[in-house]
Amino acid sequence: MSGHDAAVGHDHHGPAAHTYQPYPVRLGIVPLGLVIFLTSEISLFGAFFLWYGHARGLNNLAWPAIGYEIPADSTSINTAILIASSFTCELAFLSLMKNRRRGLFWWLVASFVLGAIFLGLQAREYHDIGFLPTTNAQGSIFFSLTGLHGAHVFIGLTLLLFCIIRVARGHFTPKRYTGLLVTSIYWHFVDIVWILLYTLVYLLPDKVA
Amino acid sequence: MRVFLRPNLARCLWVTPFVSLTSMTLALAIRKAAGYPQLWDDGVPQQMLAIGYISGVIGFLIGIGSFDTWFPWMIGSPDRPDDHSQHGAYSWRDYFRFNTDHKVIGVQYVVTTFIAFLMGGMMAEIFRSELAHSGQGVIDTKMFNGLMSQHGTLMIFTFLVPVFAGIGNFVIPLMLGAPDMAFPRLNALSFWLLPLALLIFLSSFLVGSFEAGWTGYPPFSTEGPMGETLFEIGIQVAGASSIATAVNFLVTIITMRAPGMTLFRMPLLVWANLATSALVVAATPFIAGAQFMTMFDRVMGTKFFVPEMGGDVLAYQHVFWFYSHPAVYIMVLPGFGIISEILSVMSRKPIFGYRAIAFSSAGIALLGFSVWAHHMFASGMEDWLRVPMMISTMMIAIPTGIKIFSWLGTIWQGVLHMTTAMLFATGFIFTFVIGGVTGIWLASVPFDNHVHDTYFVVAHFHYVLFGGSVMTVFAGLYFWYPKVTGRMINEKLGRAHFWTTMISSNLVFMPMHWLGLEGMPRRVADYDPQFQNWNEVISLAAFVLGAGMLIFVYNVIVSARHGAPAGPNPYRSLTLEWQVSSPPPIFNFDIPPRVVGGPYRYGEPGAKHAIFPEPSVAKERTHA
Repeated sequence: MSGHDAAVGHDHHGPAAHTYQPYPVRLGIVPLGLVIFLTSEISLFGAFFLWYGHARGLNNLAWPAIGYEIPADSTSINTAILIASSFTCELAFLSLMKNRRRGLFWWLVASFVLGAIFLGLQAREYHDIGFLPTTNAQGSIFFSLTGLHGAHVFIGLTLLLFCIIRVARGHFTPKRYTGLLVTSIYWHFVDIVWILLYTLVYLLPDKVA
Repeated sequence: MRVFLRPNLARCLWVTPFVSLTSMTLALAIRKAAGYPQLWDDGVPQQMLAIGYISGVIGFLIGIGSFDTWFPWMIGSPDRPDDHSQHGAYSWRDYFRFNTDHKVIGVQYVVTTFIAFLMGGMMAEIFRSELAHSGQGVIDTKMFNGLMSQHGTLMIFTFLVPVFAGIGNFVIPLMLGAPDMAFPRLNALSFWLLPLALLIFLSSFLVGSFEAGWTGYPPFSTEGPMGETLFEIGIQVAGASSIATAVNFLVTIITMRAPGMTLFRMPLLVWANLATSALVVAATPFIAGAQFMTMFDRVMGTKFFVPEMGGDVLAYQHVFWFYSHPAVYIMVLPGFGIISEILSVMSRKPIFGYRAIAFSSAGIALLGFSVWAHHMFASGMEDWLRVPMMISTMMIAIPTGIKIFSWLGTIWQGVLHMTTAMLFATGFIFTFVIGGVTGIWLASVPFDNHVHDTYFVVAHFHYVLFGGSVMTVFAGLYFWYPKVTGRMINEKLGRAHFWTTMISSNLVFMPMHWLGLEGMPRRVADYDPQFQNWNEVISLAAFVLGAGMLIFVYNVIVSARHGAPAGPNPYRSLTLEWQVSSPPPIFNFDIPPRVVGGPYRYGEPGAKHAIFPEPSVAKERTHA
């Protein structure tokens, strides 16, 4: 028995309850839980965006801080890489549906590598950007938002790694793929948050300027 | 020695300090490798505290066995069929283990939260004895601030929010006809975070208790003693616990209903919990965000709340209240559900306005997100936000009023059985209306500016949270006590508990309105002698209130042993949890129920909420 059944979240039912069937949900019980959890992740980012929006919109925080620069242009490459990794992740899923094991494996590896490159580029950007979280409030919120996102990329990479290991062990079939579905939903979420973050933090011009 | 390797509290004893110390050493090693000029400076103890505690939490969870199934599953080890060895309580020891049975977790939750409740209450008694007289006597101002902050924090984050998760945990899968929650291991994990949060809050006394109140506004919180960091970590832990539970409740309610249990056949407690869980999931991360920011300011030296460096102090209040106002509904909506159950059963009448009550919960949850800034009328907030917030706050009274009206309609001309649970339920309506009405007053900007930060506000939210939430908690506990223990609770002691609570709590909180109107500020260790008289009354009544709780504790313990056997359904209730034995079987339903009608069809002859297919038929099916 491999993987995790999409219909039954968890085989923790009693002897008498073996006949018990949960209400059918299209997503499956575990992905449903994940999607609900992701709304709370949106709120976590929302908390930092609320601070950011209040500080910039109502408290007239200069953005970026005077004398500093936020590298919108070079980060566009990171953005492209992360979006590409979302597509490769979906290609892995399509490969699974068509039962192409090698495609599944290598597209997952490609997503993992692209995600890792993204993290590496972010780390380099941190190094080159010229200010620290402690320099000023702009630095604090910049590093918090990108760092929070980076932590999510890291979690996504961990999930992808687990998926790669499990694919190598022959797990997942076109009918049993909960672990993979959960990972790809999470990975797309991380991607979407980045698009929002890139738009609001890197691209949004200062109203004074 | 094997006991230290199996997943249990004994293993926590060494895993927790091990993980904690390893992380601290690792952090120091990184610091050295990064080439800091000094290995140890003023900021380091704060950082070590944060790192040690956060990794300690993870260590504890590993020790208790939260990840024992997940780690092998993640890396793709072959699935082992669950042997159910972690499920159900066969002896008292099973309550101290990582247990996946929702009934065990419910009891664990309620007992833990009650320990927090009694501790928070004792803190209140201590500072009430200081406040009994004008002038300094019993405790000094620092201790007062510490106790006052702890009181609020414990009561909110480790009592009122999780106690409903506990009651819901026990009752909701039973009400739905489900064998357990949707994610039983996640359920156990979210419980075990709770005692940790409690310990983290309490241990802050050792390093200088936090003094910024439960709201933790900067700059008090960013400049306060080390305990403030523990406050911030404790909130994260308690918040993670309630988010995990809420996700679990939502998935359980969506997917784990018995056949025939359509949305409008669900008991109203389930509806209330649905709305609450949605609120928890969407709102709780905001307080996590707020506490991350203050913690970063303290531990890492970020400049979120340093105005000279571009920091925005007011934004903290926005982020904080964006959670903490919905939190008020998180603390009261499940209570509304409990009241709906009890009133209908105890007046032997169908609930009045089932859909109105169900939708008003959702309405409160939705509106609850649009009112947060009414806490900030006097904070120097943007002027244009005031009037919209005032109007939306007043609109909350509409769905709440619908509920009150429906409850009164339910008991109208009913055959009232005035058990202790019913006494608390009706007493709740009385006190909650007082709290609700002062809420509408406070929503109005000019009035709020007059009484802001006075005892009037203290009176208001204690009427809502004590007269509202705590009364419903007691109502629920008295109501489901026979289900949990299999024995009836002593009604005489219960009535004594109710009347001492009812009379003394009103004596405590009602005079606070007058003190507030006269201008006595809240959160002060000392006050002008002109406020002396009422403060004496309040303190005396507070001691009576505390003593009344002892009656409850005694009653719960003694009745569990000596109470009359309850039988499966002492109240002749229709909902599913009463159709199984008391206490319920380990796997809830020996025969899966089939729901055939609404849950409140009292007074209809022969009405049924659910039927259980004949055992012989069920047997044939399993054999086939």
